[in-house]
Amino acid sequence: MRDWHAFVRERLRLPDLAPGREARIVREVAAQLEDLYRDAIAGGAGEGEADARAAAHIANWPRLAADLRRADRAHVEPRVDRLVAAIEQHPAERRSLLMFAHLLRDSRYAIRQLVKAPAFTMVAVATLALGIGANTAIFSVIDAVLLSNLPVKDPQQLVFLTNPDEQGLEIGFGDGDRDFVTYPEFRQLERNHEVLSGLLAASNFTARLPVQLRTGDAEANGAPARISLISGSYFSVLGVTPILGRAFGPEVDTVRDANPVAVISDAFWRERFGGAGDVIGRSLRILKTSYEVVGVAPPQFHGETVGDNPDVWVPLTMQAEILPGQDYLAQETKPFRKTEWLQVIGRLKPGVTVAEARASVEVEFHQMMQAQAGGMSAREQRQFLNQHLAVTPGSHGASTLRGDFGKPLEILMVVVGLILLIACANIANILLARSAARRKEMSIRVALGAGAPRLFRQVLTESLLLAAIGGAVGLLLAHWADAALLRMVSTTSNRVRLDVHADAGVLAFTCGVSLLTGVLFGLVPALQATRADLIGVLKGTSRGIAGTTVRSGGLPAGKVLVVAQVALSLVLLVVAALFVRSFRNVSSTQLGYDRDHLLEFYLNPVSYGYRPTELAALDQNVLLRIGAIRGVRGATLTDNPLMSGRDSNSPVTVEGEKPLAGDAADARWDLVGPDFFSTTGIPILQGREITGRDSGTRERVGVINETMARKFFPQGSPLGRHVFVHTASGDVPFVVVGVVRDSKQHSAKEKPSPRFYVPYFNPIGSDWTSGAAIVVRTTGDPASLSSVIRSVVKQAAPNLPPVTIETIDQRFADSVVIDRLIANLSGAFGLVAVILVCIGLYGVMAYATSRRTNEIGIRLALGADRGGVLWLILRESLLLVLIGAAIGVPLVFVAGTWISSLLFGLHPADPAALAFAIGLMFVVGVLASYIPARRAARVDPLAALRSET
Amino acid sequence: MGLFSPELKKGSLEMLILSLVEDRPRHGYEIGKLIDARSHGRLTFALPTLYPALLRLENRGWLKGRWVEKAGERERCFYSLTPAGRRVLGEQRETWRVYVAAVNDVMGPDHA
Repeated sequence: MRDWHAFVRERLRLPDLAPGREARIVREVAAQLEDLYRDAIAGGAGEGEADARAAAHIANWPRLAADLRRADRAHVEPRVDRLVAAIEQHPAERRSLLMFAHLLRDSRYAIRQLVKAPAFTMVAVATLALGIGANTAIFSVIDAVLLSNLPVKDPQQLVFLTNPDEQGLEIGFGDGDRDFVTYPEFRQLERNHEVLSGLLAASNFTARLPVQLRTGDAEANGAPARISLISGSYFSVLGVTPILGRAFGPEVDTVRDANPVAVISDAFWRERFGGAGDVIGRSLRILKTSYEVVGVAPPQFHGETVGDNPDVWVPLTMQAEILPGQDYLAQETKPFRKTEWLQVIGRLKPGVTVAEARASVEVEFHQMMQAQAGGMSAREQRQFLNQHLAVTPGSHGASTLRGDFGKPLEILMVVVGLILLIACANIANILLARSAARRKEMSIRVALGAGAPRLFRQVLTESLLLAAIGGAVGLLLAHWADAALLRMVSTTSNRVRLDVHADAGVLAFTCGVSLLTGVLFGLVPALQATRADLIGVLKGTSRGIAGTTVRSGGLPAGKVLVVAQVALSLVLLVVAALFVRSFRNVSSTQLGYDRDHLLEFYLNPVSYGYRPTELAALDQNVLLRIGAIRGVRGATLTDNPLMSGRDSNSPVTVEGEKPLAGDAADARWDLVGPDFFSTTGIPILQGREITGRDSGTRERVGVINETMARKFFPQGSPLGRHVFVHTASGDVPFVVVGVVRDSKQHSAKEKPSPRFYVPYFNPIGSDWTSGAAIVVRTTGDPASLSSVIRSVVKQAAPNLPPVTIETIDQRFADSVVIDRLIANLSGAFGLVAVILVCIGLYGVMAYATSRRTNEIGIRLALGADRGGVLWLILRESLLLVLIGAAIGVPLVFVAGTWISSLLFGLHPADPAALAFAIGLMFVVGVLASYIPARRAARVDPLAALRSET
Repeated sequence: MGLFSPELKKGSLEMLILSLVEDRPRHGYEIGKLIDARSHGRLTFALPTLYPALLRLENRGWLKGRWVEKAGERERCFYSLTPAGRRVLGEQRETWRVYVAAVNDVMGPDHA
């Protein structure tokens, strides 16, 4: 007799089974073949024939192997089940272990379920990954901008004495809470040791200057870096210890211009010094001064201002070297014209509350102001003494990003949250449909003795597992999305440098969201699983021969979910439509001048060693040379660059008119070069513009805008009248020679306000020593002239680094970057919502329609026409949309009110947006149900009747 | 080529196996032979169909296989019904009875 064991082992390949299992199967198959052989012999067959019969019994070995493998796929089950059984023996002391064992068993079951339905699993994971990824992405930006503490020692002890949400430099003063303080004020505050254990100051703008290293690497040399000026107490108060070298201390605060030392950031050290270990003691050159590198800051430390990321920190006492031509350190002689430029942060003494600190600082600051207020008029004094320092918690650090992005981020967070909810509803719907199909399986599990809690747990585990996978993929997506997001909000001139990364908070958020998501979409199907109706289901679905007794329990839940989806999507769509329309309004806003073919660049010669007395000639020279370039229609200049946000503001009075009180007397003003209006294209309504002849020491002329004309010259022509500008150095007059149309100087959203223009070359005060923006009007493509302009500037001012030329168009685009971001993102998310609703509605309608095949068959058999059947199904879908829209509309108004502050030029209850959204939802309703409806209408009545009886 | 469609046969195989081992343990070849004999050759299941079904039922915990060597015979795997299997068999038997009765009622005495 043949060795049947060897015969089977040779043919039956089961490599992926456990060795013991494989041996057992081979043994049994061999035994059965041997039985077959013996039977054949017993039945009278010859040995050869019996052998042939048994050997041929199994014709398709690979198929048998596949069948056995499938039948045996549960071969790991007993192991876990044994474990569970073993642990269940000692429930008292091993509760946690038991839970773990159950979890293991349920997870294994869940994995098997997911592997069994790869298409569903992929769709669900992709949907969840998108949803959770979007949430994580937005949350990590929120975390970085709004929630993260500074990576310093005990950040909760830090308090701001200045305004952490502002940035820049203010000259003069406004009453109320001060944004910043002056250097002498800081020095005085520093002496307060009552409530604060330490106080630091930092320039709250970073200078961007070329930094040269003695490295021989020509490439790296002269590349600009961000430089922050700080007090000697900076690192010690923050409790930040350099990873290399040391921080400088209060010794740098005493003598001006005598402490050329620098602490560099970890990134700068790696990029520019290649992470060299011997960097301490090496020097770097900024403008004319060499600084010794004394320390390298820790990699996670990016300064006190989130998103600013300085490369180099140097002492405040080096201000005149970093910002030449300015003196921001001197004791102010004119209290009305002091330079406020420092952000001040204190560290509370242990046990001192923010309120106590606020009271103490308030008293002290008031005394300081009083000491300066001598010799002021009563009115001036009242105004001057109404200055305060607001002490606020400082653990999050300073950031203008909060003001710029806070609200948009909140809105986006809600938007992505809604998207996730809609996605959850979709997956819940698929699970519901699937659970209807899985009733038999559930019943079998009940028959096996699985109680309702266990079934509930198993189905929920499956959902949670899906959510966990979705969350993990989402985390990866979020990482990528955040980089994209930062690129989207970064502009050519202002790259947002934000340390967005998945820290513990973000991970916790993602885990939480995934868990919540899993519960959200898994709960209804899980509850339904526990209601598996044993006999009915086994009867109803046993091999699909018997009549149907499947309950229609899944249907209403699915419809409720779709209605909710429609309502939420409607909100998203309206919000998206509002933002898109708002952005269109913003970007099509008329600025009052032609923003095409307009270039601008900033000249700041004093920073590069030119003396203030050389400036006028240099500027004239640059204008002359640019004017001579072919393709340039005109060139002029202004002290406040267009679309830059920089502006001047002073109270004015008009000769012969009653002075306006308080802020009403304020007017904004610019120093402008000859032909400013004809170059920019701001139309002149009366009189003439400022020309080259208005320079020098002649009587100062000025041009006012229409709002100023209306407000300050209620009757009669303003031409020829005198206006007095109240500045720190006294009242400065000018005579009005022209009136121009209102224009938007800095942003599309700017409201018209009184504004006047006086000659740059016959200025008010002497502020223009800080530089001016050259504005160039070209005939052709402005970008094509950049290089030639750069080269003529180089000829006129060889010591200046190459200028950065921008088109006003680009500046304008940069100024609406947040509007564009919200419009794009909410539009994209609105589209996602529509697609999700479409899928959800299609699923529910297809399921509902298939359940009604029988009914439709009867209708058709009774003579209903196919159009009627089509309408029957469409009507049901449209009804769902209608209910969803009815629920959604009130939500839309709530959402509209909430976002109204970000809308431009339209009302939050914009009928067009609402009509568009509702219309689109109905289109979705028709689209999603058309295929099921058409299928229903094409049903063969006989087949339909047969299929369901 | 059999009397019944493969779907019909396959659908009832598990029920048949469970009922055959209800009273006493049997080995795989014996189960196949019994089905053949009791149905007078109208139902036959070859090893490639039968054995995976056995394995499946065992993995579901409805059957338990045990290797036994009886006197004068080779060692064989004998399958017996577990309590869970007994419960399922009861359910299936009941379902089957109701189903057959329903079908008979529908088809009427003429066709019975």
